[in-house]
Order: sequence, then structure tokens, then C-alpha cells
Amino acid sequence: MAQRLHPGGRARSGERSRPRGSKRARREAPAGAGCLRAWTEENDGLAGGWRASRSSGPGRAAQQAARRCRLAFDSLLRKIQGLPAALPSLSLELTVLYNSLLFAVSESDGLVEGEAERINHGLIRVLEACGVSGQDLSTEELWQKVLQDVTTEELCAPLHRLGALQGAVWLAANCLGSVTGLFRLLSDTKGPLPSAHGGENELLALLKAWSVPVEGDTSPLVVQSTKDLKEILWTSAAFLQGLQGLEAGNLPTALSLLQAAASGFCSKRVLAQIYTCIGCCTQQMGKPQTALQHLKRALQVDFQCLSALSQAALVYRQLGETDAELEALALLYKALETPAQEAVSIDPCFLIRTELLVHTPALASLFSRSHPSEVKYLLAQRCLQAGRVGEAVEHYLDLLALLQEGPQHQVPLHGRSALPRIPEVFLEAASALEQLGRYQDAIAVCEEIISRTDDLIPETLRIELDSGAGGEAPGRAGSPSPGIPPQQRESLRCIVWRAAAYLHQGRAWARLGESKEAITRFTRCLNVLLRVQLVSAASIQSSEEMAEALPEAKVLQKIRLLALLGRGSQFQELGRDKEALMNFQHSLQVCPGDPAATSHLLRALWKLNRRQEAAALWQKLHADAAPADGQQEAPGRPYPLYLVSCLKQVNLPHDESLARSLQDYLRTSGQDP
Amino acid sequence: APMPFVSVWCCSDKLCPCGERLQGQLGACLKTRSNLSSRLRPCGMKLTFPDQVWHVELLPLRRQLYILCAGNGIYCVSLDQLGSQAEDACPSSVFPVDADACIVPDVTLCTFTLLNDVLVTLSQAQGQWWMKLHVLLDPDQESQPCRQISQVGFSTCDQTGDDGDALSSHFLPVLCCASAPGTAGPGEGLWCSGGFTLEEPLFSLLFGIDAAMLDSPMILCGFPDGQLCCVPLKALNSSEAVDACSEVAGQVPPVKILHHLEEPVVFIGALRTEHKAPDDPDDQQLFGDSGCDCVVVVGHYGKMVAMKAERGEEAKVPEVREYYLQGPILCAACGGGSRMYYSTHSDISAVDLDWVSNASDPESIDNTAYVLPPVLSPASLSICSVVALSLSSRASEGDSELLALSAKGRLMSCDLCSPDDAHPIRLTPEKAGQRIKELLSGIGNVSERVSFLKKAVDQKNRALTSLNQVMNVSAALLSNQDGRKPVTCTVTASWSRLLLRDTWAISCMLENSSECSLEQGWTLCVQLFTSSCAFDEDSVDSATTFTFPIDQLLPGSKREVTLPLGSAEGTKLELPLTVSCALFYSLREILDSASDSYESLDDLLPDGSPGLSPDKEGICLPLSKCTIDILQCLRLDDSTVPGAPPSIATLSDPVETFLKVSRVQSDPSSVEVSDQLLPKAPDALGDEYLPPSVASIKVSSELLKNALKSFCEATYWAKERVCVNALGPCLPLRAVRLGLGTWSVPTDPPGQGLAPPVWKPGAGIPFLLPLLEPIQACCSGVASLLGQSVGSPPLCLGKSRQPVSCWAVGNARTHPLLCISLSKWLCEVGWGGTIGVS
Repeated sequence: MAQRLHPGGRARSGERSRPRGSKRARREAPAGAGCLRAWTEENDGLAGGWRASRSSGPGRAAQQAARRCRLAFDSLLRKIQGLPAALPSLSLELTVLYNSLLFAVSESDGLVEGEAERINHGLIRVLEACGVSGQDLSTEELWQKVLQDVTTEELCAPLHRLGALQGAVWLAANCLGSVTGLFRLLSDTKGPLPSAHGGENELLALLKAWSVPVEGDTSPLVVQSTKDLKEILWTSAAFLQGLQGLEAGNLPTALSLLQAAASGFCSKRVLAQIYTCIGCCTQQMGKPQTALQHLKRALQVDFQCLSALSQAALVYRQLGETDAELEALALLYKALETPAQEAVSIDPCFLIRTELLVHTPALASLFSRSHPSEVKYLLAQRCLQAGRVGEAVEHYLDLLALLQEGPQHQVPLHGRSALPRIPEVFLEAASALEQLGRYQDAIAVCEEIISRTDDLIPETLRIELDSGAGGEAPGRAGSPSPGIPPQQRESLRCIVWRAAAYLHQGRAWARLGESKEAITRFTRCLNVLLRVQLVSAASIQSSEEMAEALPEAKVLQKIRLLALLGRGSQFQELGRDKEALMNFQHSLQVCPGDPAATSHLLRALWKLNRRQEAAALWQKLHADAAPADGQQEAPGRPYPLYLVSCLKQVNLPHDESLARSLQDYLRTSGQDP
Repeated sequence: APMPFVSVWCCSDKLCPCGERLQGQLGACLKTRSNLSSRLRPCGMKLTFPDQVWHVELLPLRRQLYILCAGNGIYCVSLDQLGSQAEDACPSSVFPVDADACIVPDVTLCTFTLLNDVLVTLSQAQGQWWMKLHVLLDPDQESQPCRQISQVGFSTCDQTGDDGDALSSHFLPVLCCASAPGTAGPGEGLWCSGGFTLEEPLFSLLFGIDAAMLDSPMILCGFPDGQLCCVPLKALNSSEAVDACSEVAGQVPPVKILHHLEEPVVFIGALRTEHKAPDDPDDQQLFGDSGCDCVVVVGHYGKMVAMKAERGEEAKVPEVREYYLQGPILCAACGGGSRMYYSTHSDISAVDLDWVSNASDPESIDNTAYVLPPVLSPASLSICSVVALSLSSRASEGDSELLALSAKGRLMSCDLCSPDDAHPIRLTPEKAGQRIKELLSGIGNVSERVSFLKKAVDQKNRALTSLNQVMNVSAALLSNQDGRKPVTCTVTASWSRLLLRDTWAISCMLENSSECSLEQGWTLCVQLFTSSCAFDEDSVDSATTFTFPIDQLLPGSKREVTLPLGSAEGTKLELPLTVSCALFYSLREILDSASDSYESLDDLLPDGSPGLSPDKEGICLPLSKCTIDILQCLRLDDSTVPGAPPSIATLSDPVETFLKVSRVQSDPSSVEVSDQLLPKAPDALGDEYLPPSVASIKVSSELLKNALKSFCEATYWAKERVCVNALGPCLPLRAVRLGLGTWSVPTDPPGQGLAPPVWKPGAGIPFLLPLLEPIQACCSGVASLLGQSVGSPPLCLGKSRQPVSCWAVGNARTHPLLCISLSKWLCEVGWGGTIGVS
């Protein structure tokens, strides 16, 4: 079938030598030697053609040529393996198998499944030719048997070549033990282990000690030399073990292995990856400056290595250098905007490359390409956290536009994404807009959340906070609380988002001076919050415990406090001091001892001339504040970013005159100590 | 196995005036793997693919057809290109698809769907399902046809046990796309075949707020193990295989399991179950835009799940209701309405999910009441074995059309009237009676016509069956021109005793060794030409034809017919006599029974059909032709002596008899044999004196050359290998030199041994004629004899296994040898020579 699909394929790849070979094959078909010669010529023709064509460089043409070559080698191999195994043809057969597998491994991106089977089959045929049965043996046992039993001189080189390929396949499957065993057999079975000195890595030493079989002029051609393969195996083995060390937290070993890998033979892309890994390693070892140096080197080697850039941003963040961090992130975003260069799947010069052999989850997660939306969010979030509101707003607006774009811009919603839930992004954007003074825009953004959550919120949401909570291990903080069905939890989140959106709207209207509008929004916010009925069991008493069980509950409480305070302030604006006072009192009930609520109430009381109560409250405030000066926030979950600015702004500036008049009042009333 | 192919219809608007509407259906129609032929005119072009075609989709925007070929990948074929190719090509030509048209080469691909310029594929690799998102690129600008954007893995962890694997392996997953209303602008509709728009709040309830806020279409995916998953198109990524059950740090994973059907999913669709006010045209427009309010998923064994937003206030969750239909369900289709159509092997049924509560007062409807009907009552459409369904609504008329493709490749179209038209008309009793009468008479008419048509169809079927047989026989006979024919007629001439008179008769043995039987209608024609004599050109040909109808000749059976030609005392026979046998089948007879007009015969058989007689009356298949010469008429016994009937029976071949006699004479030890063979000859001649019998065979050189040519060609390969020695053992029997000239064997008195042959040389090549013993016209015997001595492959004469009567081997230069089995030599070769006994 393949032949039919690519009629010109083989002819093109082996144009010069094929006609001669095929003619001879026809004439001497019945004779074994003629076949062998014809096959050898076909193999040499194909390999020669491939070698000649690789000057054209990587690309789609090379990929297609590789595919054709693979099919041609496969069919040649089928021809050879159609006959019973025989010693004279084994050398050629193993070489053709090697060539065919090279293409197969290269094409399948290193994820090989059927290839191991084919090597097995080849080995069994070698044993068959020697009259030994090789059935029911594992691949490792087969290799042992083959290398021990087969002593034919001319089979040595092809077997070693195939061994190197087997090593590559095992490396790609992360079977380091098998690779080590194989190279113990290949290098010298009797000699002492070379790893005896200096605790050097055994596999690397074995690989170094393994002598590559000499490729004579007479032997059939191979498409990638064993010498290259050895170098690549060495680098890959070092890199892979370094990565495993990094994963296991065995940092010094990992560092030395990775440094060894960096000295090896690999492409620029892999070298940059290795440098990035060294950077991660040194950062974890507590050497941020060294880490930065390595990350810089990675970028110098290959600017496409964007993970180095994001790692650098992380390091800068650790160092507290916000400017540098933002710069790195901006660069990263810019780089991501340009479409990704297609990973070169076939390099004509090296069919087997380090990229194909090193697969670990750590590598995949470290070098997974971050999404533009993710980076944009990080930029926006960091700007907002750093108080650069103007930049933050720009970034948030860009991000919102990005989210609306088509499916070509993917949005990472999975667990390890930097991006939070989409409504939270909207809320943060609204918060940033509000801080910048773009109140109408903030209101519009919040309106979107409100309309989207409209249909998702039940009239009442009754959540029981108990079942099984006590039985859970306390170490699982932050894990979803047990006993709450995900559906309810999602509804609760929707309520929180909707309430927060109303809160932001209220605040924006308040800033615009539209007190009535603002009061309406605050009221709606409170109404939404009233839908939640948290039924706590006896085991949960304090609010801290409640927050522990359900983090949303704490946020819910804070939003209620903020809404009450906001509504109270607006009533004050309208001169409805009594209603304001009621709101403030409510807020203090929601969060007993909250300094912001207390000061608001204090001021309202003072304004209403209820001086005695005010004075009592003031005294209480001072008594509470004195010992707990250090702890501003309870240690626990930080509040969501979209609430941070609200929380900051709700604290009234210290009113010197009020304090003085309160002190005066206390003095006059004789209660001051 | 027949090559799977996609037959492309209506490739261009020129070929199909129906345009887009049909093209939209094309995808659905072509999903099956069967041959398509219907009243729609195919554009006459077939594309063949290397393997089964699993899925076809049409992208009208780009006018491209996307075809998933099992084990190969997705091919993209431009309709315009196809159309132009189809115009150039002759009708019903078959094109193999170009390998370069494979835009996504992936052997693990199982299904795909298209949304404008986005291609979503689903493949199975490493024990997992992988959904991949590709963007189709502009071929003019980019080197690649498409680029992969992202992928996500689905773990179907529930797939445990070998049983489940085997079960799910031959089902393909189902992909479809659900979009929220208003995600696309009014002008550019999001085009997705099989996709639907879901109205709020169902969309948000099913797929979550993130997808809704991203305005992302959702890809719904039904797996063979029964899982129904969804993933937002804009968030088709996961760093690792997502365990859909876990929720990490408040994040909802993009892949969500909506339901588990526990049987292979065959269909995902959406319905509009609630009617909006139909009187307002604006509202109607709105109704069209807002999309469906119910998602249905159908499993192979009949489980159906409907999901709809609940009216209830308590908790905002979609109501999920399971129904059990009669399975196995092959396919299903939904239109814009509330009905779903599904096909089992035996029927298409429709279920309606529109459910009006029985409560009279709408106010009293309990808010928590279910919004979906508690039970479904399928209505049958009585169309069986439909494997693909598609529903298209004609906006102008309000009703819709159901396109169904049967397993045998028939495309059917059913007009479905809208539910509003189905109101029964109130009838008065009189009118009802009248109507019933009309209906009854109508039924009578119909049944009459049906029986008539049935008879005609039966007749035509019979005619077709016999025509088919005739064609089979003809094909078998005509295709084996040079080899052994499957139907043979062997002609032998012999004396027989008939009505106390010795009669010379020709017997024709018709043997049917083909696989088909010769049925009624065949006739064996034996034609006798009396003057085939080449020497006398002036003689007038006189031909007599005898016909023997063959009632039935089953494969492997024989039938013999005998033609008495003349008695010993009777008329003078004109020899040589050419006997030509042929099979004849009269077409007139069948066609007369099938139809009355002769025009149909002309339609049936175009001019120039081989084997057809000039007046097109029937099919004539020549079987054999042979010449009977005087040699066959020889009677060696003295027929003047009456009352010796047994001699006639035993003596079949005069030459044989002659040679045997001569051998008996030369070999006294075999007197017993000769007694058996020739009971009369010694007696008649007496034992005191046996005159030397001399035979001479005169053969004309031309005839010899002609006769030997065909045999020599066939056997010449062996000429160098067969040497005289090889034939040594048979030489002493009888070595007959043959050639131009006269050959004589003087038969010596008994006990003297074999005399050397006397050769009176004429001109030409001398041939040795070893007479093999026993003299039999069995080619295999000779072949094995030769084969033995040569050592490698048994001599095969020609390519046929026809009984060969003549044989020639020999080296023309050194050892010319000619082996001829004598018994049939004369009759088959038709030598004009004569043999005389003196």
C-alpha cells in the first residue's frame, strides 16, 4: 500500500544505485548470494540517497522523504525477514532493521511502542540462525543471550549498533536500569565496572567506555552513524538522570549531572533546556544569582527557550525586583505573541536526537509553553499588586480582549494554570478600573458578571458544614472541604462573585457621587449574600474554624462587611445618619472587633452625639489594638485580589481631630485614667 | 473485500441545482461505507481510499470535503477540483485519493469535527483518548495545511475488563459542538455540522460559568464506554492527563464529565422542547436564534438521556432524565423541533420531548415539576435498516425533510409535516362513510395493481436469473478460448446395432464440467457438413442441423445424443464429414415471456456483443468441430456374416484393431489377448495361414504440418530434453516411421520377432511414431511417462486439461520423435489421410 501511495519515493531516494541493483536482483533471483547482494545494494542505495538528501535541511520535504525512506526500509526488511534467518544475511538484516528503526523512532517522536517488539523479533531471528531458541524471553534476557552466545565476528558491529538503538528506545521509555544492564553487556562483560572510581555515574561511564564498532567500507550503509548515536545517548543519559535528580530533590547530584549534560553533544534547543534546568536547580539550592546567570545563558543559546524567561521572572519575584520581573514577563508575552516555531520533528542529519529520548513529566511541565493569556494575567496581577494601577488596567483590558478571541488563543483553565477562574479575572479588572478612576468601565465589567450569574444562583443555598469534617486530616488545608457537593460549592462561588460585582458597582457609583445608585447596589449585594445559609454543626464554633472548612465563607463575611460599611457611608452622605449607624452596627456584628467597622461606628456615634457610647467604643478599640498591633491580618488565606483594594480603602484615615475631641471628652467626663 | 470509497454527489452547483442544502446533507449521507446509488444523480466520480471511510464532513465555506480514513488520517478534497475532474472523466470512473491530500496523517484518529476553520480531532493512543485542536491554514500562504494548537487527554478509567474493551472497540466516539447563543456575529454563523446552539441558562448550567464568560463553544464528546464529556473549545488544553474527578485549588478542570451512559454513545443532539409564541414573526425570529433548550444523548442499546434546565428555584442544576428506548440504535437525528428520530435495524421511530402538563390552570403547575415528559412514546415511521439519518428543515414551509440512508445504500427522503398540520379534521358520519368507501376502493385498486406489478416483477426476476445463468455459461466458455472449455462436446463415430441393423452413428457426448448448470432453454446444435473436403472445391456444401433441447444439465453430468447416419446396406455416405457442435440459447424465448416488444432485446444487448447471432435471436457458443473420415467407418469384421453382433461393440477403433492384430501376429505369446480382442479374426481367417498384413498410412505433408504445428508449439520446450533414450522403453512396442512417403510394417510369421520397419523414403522429415501401449488418448499417461524420464515438471500439453489426442515431441534436428495416440488421432486432427488395410 505504501508503495502505491508513494510511487516515486524509493526511486528518488536511491536513484543512482537502484537500477543497477534491481537488474541484478532480477537476474540472480534464485540464488541466495544474488539476493543478498541486491538487498545490500538496495539498502546502500536508500541510505546513500538519504545521506545525500539531508543537505536540503529540515522541513516538510525532509519529513516526507523520511517517511518514504521508512516505508522503503520496512518493505526491504519484510523481504529479508520473509526468509528463514541465515547467518550470511544476518549482518545485512540487522543493519536494515537498524536503519528502519531509526526512521521509525524519529518519526514517532520517540514514543515507541512497536519498535521494541521489532528489536525482539530481530534478536530472536539472530538466535534462530545460531540454532538457539529465544522464545519467551524478555528483551533484557534476549540481549544477554544474544551477546553471550553469538560470537560470529561479522555480527558484532551490527549487533552493537542495534544495541545502541535499544538503549535509545529504553532511554525514551525512562528504563535506565535496562540501559545500564545492556551497556554493561556491550562494553565489556568481564572487565571490572568502570564506575569504581570517584562515584561517577555508572551509566555515563559505561557509555564512555563502550567502543563503537568500526564501520568498514564493505559493510552495508547506515543512515546515522553509531558514533553520533553514542554521543547522543551519553548526553541524553546525563540529562535524564539530572532531571530525575531534580525531581527527587537530590540537588547536588542533579547539578553535576546536568552540568555534564551541558558539556555533551546536543542541539541548541536542548542545551538551552539543560541550562534552564541548571537554573532551576541552583535556585532551589538557594543561589538566585547563579540561577539567573544560567537562565541568561539559556536565553543566549536559544531565544526560543521561553521557559528560561518565565523562570527568570520567578527568580526576580523571589528577589523582590518587581521591575525586572515585569520586564521579563513583558518580554515573555511579546515572544509568545509571535507564533511558535514548529518543533523540528525531523532533522535530516540526526534522526535520533536528545529531544526524542528525554521525556519526563518534570521536563514536560517545566517546558510546557505558557499561554499568552496566562502571562498577560501575571503581568496584570503583578502590576495591580505592586500598585501600578495604570499599567494593570491596560493589561487587564488586553487580557479581557484576549479571552474573547477565537479558539486559536487557548485559555488555560486547568489546575496548574496561573489564571484564576474567569469571573475573578473580571472582578480584578473591575477593581483595577475602579482604582484608576474609570468608574463607568468598572460598572460595565461588573454588569457582565452579574448577568452571567443570573441564572446560576438558587433562591437559597443551604450549606451544612459538618459531615466528616472532623475525620479529615488537618494537613489537607486548602483542599475542597468534604461533604459539600461540588454543585453547591460552585453555586456558592457564583454568589460570592455576584456579590463582589455588586459591591464594586456600589463603590463605583459612590465615587461618582450617585449615592442612591450606590445604595441600591450595596443592598443587592447584601440580598445576594442573604441567600446563603451556612448551617454549622456543633464541631464548628468559631469563625476561624468556619473559614478553615469553607474558605468562601470568610470572603462572604468580608464582602458583607464591606457592603454594610459602604451603604452606611452613603447614608451618611445623604445625611441619613441613623440608617448609617444601623449599618455600621450590623457590620460590627458580622465582624466583631473589626477596626474599620469600629472606627466607622465610632464616627457615626460621635456625629449623632452619642458620646458616651463612642467613648466606650474608643476605649475598647484602644485596648484591643494595643496588644494586637503586629497582626494586621489573621494568618490564613489572603483575601482575593479583587477585595484587597476595598479592604485597604475602607479603613478610615486616622482622624486626629476626632481622636483629640474624644480624648477631651473622656478627660472632661473624668473617665480617662 | 470491495474497496471502500466515497461517492461524491453534487460536487458543483452545475451538477446539482439543489445547492447548499443538499451539500449540507452530504456529510451525513456519506458517513456510511456503502455504495451509493439513488435517484439523485451522482456526479459519476468515485474516490477510493486506502481503508474504510469513517467520517465525512463538508466545509461549505471553503468548499472542501474532509474525509477520515481509518488507519490513515484526514484527507481534504476540494469540491471544485473534484467537480472539474468529474467533468473531464468518463462516467463512473474511480480515482484513488491523492496521498498528498492527507492533511492530518494520524493512524490513531477515530473521529473529528469542523468549526469554520478549526478542526477538532479525537484519537486513541497510549490507552487514552486525545482531543486535538488544529487550525486550518490558508494553503496559499502557508506551507502546511493545518497546525495543531493544543491537545487534551481524556482518561476513560472505567474501561475495565476485556469485555468492555471488546465491546467498545468497534464503536467510534461521537463529537459535536455546542455553542452559546450570540457567540458568532449575525453575518458569519458559526458553522459546524451536527452542532447546535444552546440557550441560556442551560449552557451555563451544563458547562459552567467560565465557558459562558469566555463565549467559548463546547465540544461534546461521547465515548464508546458511555462517558459524555465536554470541554471548552477555548480551553482545550491540559498539561497532563486530566483526572476529571479531581478539583485542584478551586479550579474546575476544563474537561467535565456530564454523564455516564454505560453504553456506547451513538448520538448527541439538541432539541427545542418549549414553544414560544408562534404568532409573532419577530418572536419566531428570536426563536430561531435562541437555540435549543434540551440536550439529548443516545446510547447504542437504547438508553437515552435528556438534559434540560429545571424550572425549580431551589437549586440551579440541569434536570437529567433517562429514558429507555428499544435498541440497538444505529443512528439518530434532531431538527430544530422537539422531535428526535432514531433508527434501529427494523424501524425509524420518532419521540417527542415536548411535554405539556395536564394541569388545566397554568398557575397551578408546580414549580418543581419536571419539565421533561416522564415517559416517551415512540411513533414508528416504518422504514427499516437505515444506517444514517439527517434532518433538514425547510424554513419556508415549516416542515422538515428526513434524509435516510439504508444499509444497502439507498437514500430516502421523507417529508415530515409539522406537528401543527397533524390536527385531525372533524368529519360528519355521512362524510366518514363516503370517505371509507373511497378508501376501500382505493385499497382495492392498489392491491390489484400490486398483484399485477408483482407478477411482472416475478417474471422479470425469472428472466434475469436465467439471463444471468446464460451469461455465466457464456463467459466461462468464451473466456477459455485456448484452454479446456468447461462445457465440452466429444464426437465419436461408431457402428452400432439398431433395430437389427448395423448402423453407423455419430454420438455426441455433452459434458458439463463448469460450475453452472445448463438450464432449460439451451439447445445443443449438431451441424453436419458433408463437403468439407478441401480437395474438391466445386462441391456444394450441404449442411444438416440437428437440435437437441437440453432440459437441465447439472454441473458434472453428461448427456449423450446419437445421430444415426446410415446403415451398412443403405445410402452412400459422403465422407469426410464435418461435425460441428454448438450450444444455442434463444433470447427471444425469455424476452417474450418478460415483455412483448422486441425493442427491449436491442436495449438489452448492444450491437457487436460477441457470441450473438446476427439477427440477435440468441447466443450461440461453438463447442467443437471435428471431421469424420472414412477411417472411422472402417469395420474390420466381416459384416456379411450375420449373427455376430458382439464384435461390433468391442471394436471401437479400426487402427487400434489393426495394430493389435499385427502385434498378435508378431507375438505368439499374446494369443489370449488377441482372442479377447479379436475373437473373430483368427477364426475367420483360419489358423493354417496368416497372410502378412501391411498397412500404409498416407499423409499429406501440408496436413501433417498443420496438424503438428499446434502441438509442436505447445510441447517444443521439451525438445532438447527428451532424447530418444528417454523414450527407449516404449520404442520396441511399435516404432512407426511416419513421413512423406509410405511406411509399411511387414508382419512376419509368428515367432520371428519384430521386423525392422520398412521405410520408403519420400521427402521431408522422418518421424518416429512410437505407439504407446496401451494405446490411450490419455494425455496424463504420456505426460507422466515423459515427465519421469525428464525429471522436471511433468509435461504439460498446452495449458488445458482437455483430453489430448495427439502428441508430438522430438528434436527436429537430431531425433525427431512424434508420439501420437492413435485412437483419436484421426478424428481430432482431422487428417485427410487414409489408411487402408490390405
